[in-house]
Amino acid sequence: MLNYTKYEKVRIIGARALQISLGAPILIETSTLDPIRIAQEEMKKEVIPITVIRD
Amino acid sequence: MFKVVQIRDTARVPPNKFGRELNQSIAEILQGQYEGTWDKDLGFILAIHNIIEVGDGKIVPGDGSAYYETVFEALTYLPKLYEVVEGEVEEITEFGAFVRLGPIDGLVHVSQLTNDFINYDKKNNTLSGKESGRVLKVGDKIRGRIVTLSLKRGSAKIGLTMRQPYLGKFEWIAEEKKEG
Repeated sequence: MLNYTKYEKVRIIGARALQISLGAPILIETSTLDPIRIAQEEMKKEVIPITVIRD
Repeated sequence: MFKVVQIRDTARVPPNKFGRELNQSIAEILQGQYEGTWDKDLGFILAIHNIIEVGDGKIVPGDGSAYYETVFEALTYLPKLYEVVEGEVEEITEFGAFVRLGPIDGLVHVSQLTNDFINYDKKNNTLSGKESGRVLKVGDKIRGRIVTLSLKRGSAKIGLTMRQPYLGKFEWIAEEKKEG
């Protein structure tokens, strides 16, 4: 999973943050309320259920 | 005619529906989107009852929702010209009887009820033949044939006839059979 480019990473975090802000259930324990920070934490723990299709 | 058809479409699942069973979420979304609607080719879409296939979710820029390519089964009703149908009389008016065919009603005009002259009885809310004495009232089960059909967006006007052999109220058909 960890061979993402910085462009892919930011796209995943962005998409995930938008999902969280729209009410998706979050996948980690956190005290943060900011969707972007939550998405970043999820990215760090590699729990985001999003993959990149390269074609 | 009622039909079960397979439809392929993309379902948009918003993020607040994420944490649950995916097939169930998709079923609910498709039901909300399709059930009770009218389609030019399919007719009335009555129920989405079987999700057959759900593809991978796609994320589109600018939208938090996931898009799933799905294949599902739907129950539809599309009336066809010259189709023989059965139903129950729902309403009697002076110009004819409305018959429930399923999701919609069809009209049997007084001129299409029997070969007889028809009188409208306002007090009893019935239509009766002048010579045969045959009576049609609310709740009667009949068999008819669709002879006029006008399908427009969301509404269908269906005209039936009962003036053909073995069409009419079930009791009349039984009599007809006995006479041979």
